[in-house]
Amino acid sequence: MKDMAKQDLKKSEHPESETRGTGPALGALLLKFRAFVALIVIMVLFTFLSSTFLTWSNLITVLVQSSINGLLAIGMTLVIVSGGIDLSVGAIAGLCGMVVGALIDVGIPIHALGVVVYPHAWAVVLIGIAAGALAGAVNGWIITRLNVAPFIATLGTLYIGRGLALLSNNGSTFPFLDGTKAHGNMGFPWLGNGLLLDIPVPIWLLAIATLAASAVATRTTFGRHIYAVGGNERAAALSGVKVRSVRARVYVISGALSALAGIVIAAQLDSAGAAAGTGYELNAIAAAVLGGTSLMGGKGTITGSVIGALVIAVLVDGLILLGVSDFWQMIITGFVIVVAVAIDQVQFNAVKFPWRGGAAVKR
Amino acid sequence: MTLKTLLGTACMAASLGVLALPASAATPSVQSQKGTNGKTIAIFVPSLSNPFFVAEEKFAADEATKLGYGTMVASHDGNAETQLNLIKTAIARHVSAIVLDNAGADESISAVKTATDAGVPVFLIDREINAKGIAKAQIVSNNFQGAQLEGTQFAKLMGYKGTYVELTGLPSDTNAKVRAQGAESVLNHFKDMKMVGKQTADWSQSKGFSVMQTLLQAHPDVKGVIAGNDTMALGAEAALLAAHKPDVIVVGFDGSPDVVASIKKGQIKADVLQPIAVFSQKAVIEADQYIKTGKTGLPEKQELNCILITPENVGNYTNWAMKS
Repeated sequence: MKDMAKQDLKKSEHPESETRGTGPALGALLLKFRAFVALIVIMVLFTFLSSTFLTWSNLITVLVQSSINGLLAIGMTLVIVSGGIDLSVGAIAGLCGMVVGALIDVGIPIHALGVVVYPHAWAVVLIGIAAGALAGAVNGWIITRLNVAPFIATLGTLYIGRGLALLSNNGSTFPFLDGTKAHGNMGFPWLGNGLLLDIPVPIWLLAIATLAASAVATRTTFGRHIYAVGGNERAAALSGVKVRSVRARVYVISGALSALAGIVIAAQLDSAGAAAGTGYELNAIAAAVLGGTSLMGGKGTITGSVIGALVIAVLVDGLILLGVSDFWQMIITGFVIVVAVAIDQVQFNAVKFPWRGGAAVKR
Repeated sequence: MTLKTLLGTACMAASLGVLALPASAATPSVQSQKGTNGKTIAIFVPSLSNPFFVAEEKFAADEATKLGYGTMVASHDGNAETQLNLIKTAIARHVSAIVLDNAGADESISAVKTATDAGVPVFLIDREINAKGIAKAQIVSNNFQGAQLEGTQFAKLMGYKGTYVELTGLPSDTNAKVRAQGAESVLNHFKDMKMVGKQTADWSQSKGFSVMQTLLQAHPDVKGVIAGNDTMALGAEAALLAAHKPDVIVVGFDGSPDVVASIKKGQIKADVLQPIAVFSQKAVIEADQYIKTGKTGLPEKQELNCILITPENVGNYTNWAMKS
């Protein structure tokens, strides 16, 4: 047990290089990049089965469809690596979508002056993301200050968030978020359906979030601390890591990214609905797990999880192209997740058995 | 970021969030309201996250209040067990009648029987159960007729030719099947119309959007989309607009204010209104009649026909009903 903990902490110093450099290279590589391998295998399969699959426009569609789950999975990965879980991501996405919808359709009534202020579309987006960060801060506060287990705390905020989203417009949607010229708040749907250099905006958002989160996870002290806290909280605390602060901050990031995902959903649909994002927490966890994130904490990569989100999106897209029924889509997606995690166990055993040399963890 | 700045940002966002949302008190899962005649009518619907059911509940509750009854309102989330618990609670609170949009044609029979055996009359709305003589009334919109109406108008808009896709509701929901059958019973007669894709989008707007995106990849030249409800129609329409295909014909089913607004903007081409304002109010009026006289004076099963909404008559629409 002690050895395990020690190894975890050491591992945590090399978040992006858990599979050792030495040893049988091909097998190790296949295991390390299994989400990527799965992605390639599935894509090759669909290319043979459907003439539409491997076209530029379909690949772009798949990327757009993976962007929402991808954004959620990035935040989820940081939280899981820190040793927690965030079940409230879908609810935060729904709630922040409603905040944004209200700001565009209703504006901010200032009763004292008897006027209604309509913020610019960009300000709306920033307020929406701030609201998500706030919800994440609440999660972090409940978990680190009230010492409620993350599973329970975020399960609670899932219900609270969804309830607030429903309450915000009595169960109705905020439709048509194009804004009006008179209010000066036009342009919001661009975030969901616009193009930048011929690439849809949600793909840019996912790419930027992936690069930024990857950089934070691998190149900053805070990032290393996330892995340290998730690998062995006690050891991290003893080595001077401010465990509480690290644990709280990952929820703020997750909340902000959930808000961004909710904003993209609202922009795509040109309408904010209180039920948006229902059940998305499980998709995000599935993407993270597919990408090699360990639910025990301390292990996982951002790129892995984004590839995991891509695998899920490719599966759904390809199966619809083939006209496979929804029931089979569920069964096949579940099957892929289980197989991926089973492979994870193979890798875990491989690490436990010393033939590939635990020594390689050293720098 | 220190905790202080973190809290600072939090407070700022909180104040903004509070401004953005209408102020309302937290609501418990069961909402009760006292009436003037000392009697209470319970109203149970499948969901309070779908504007359709929210409207249904509101029409029934308003009518009950108008007639002097107190109300007890809750959602069973489509879960038959939750529904049974709610009904037991209602019996224990000695409500005078239950207005119920049930959680499944077979699963709900015993729950309705429980109430009836305890002397509480049940009035079903929106969906039937597969049993007769237990509920005092089953007032539903004629989904098959409505879907035929939708299919007929869709075929007309398409000029009786071309390719189309169908988006169907949650596979476990009876109404999803009935509507698909109704629409297809019409569309199958037109040999020049070809269904190139049929997918479920689970009544969901975001799923309607993403499924439509993918279907567009497989069938970029598709001419029409027939959706089993309004949220899926709105999702499909958003995907078509994003793909710069505003000419593809989309029709919906429900008669929600959002789709009506879309019709007014010239986007969605037609919709089918379920007369929920009518059947919700009718159920309460019949319950009132039953409480006072011991009978409704009407047959148990009452089907109300759906009404077609087109750009021509959309001006007559007000909040889930058509002015005649």
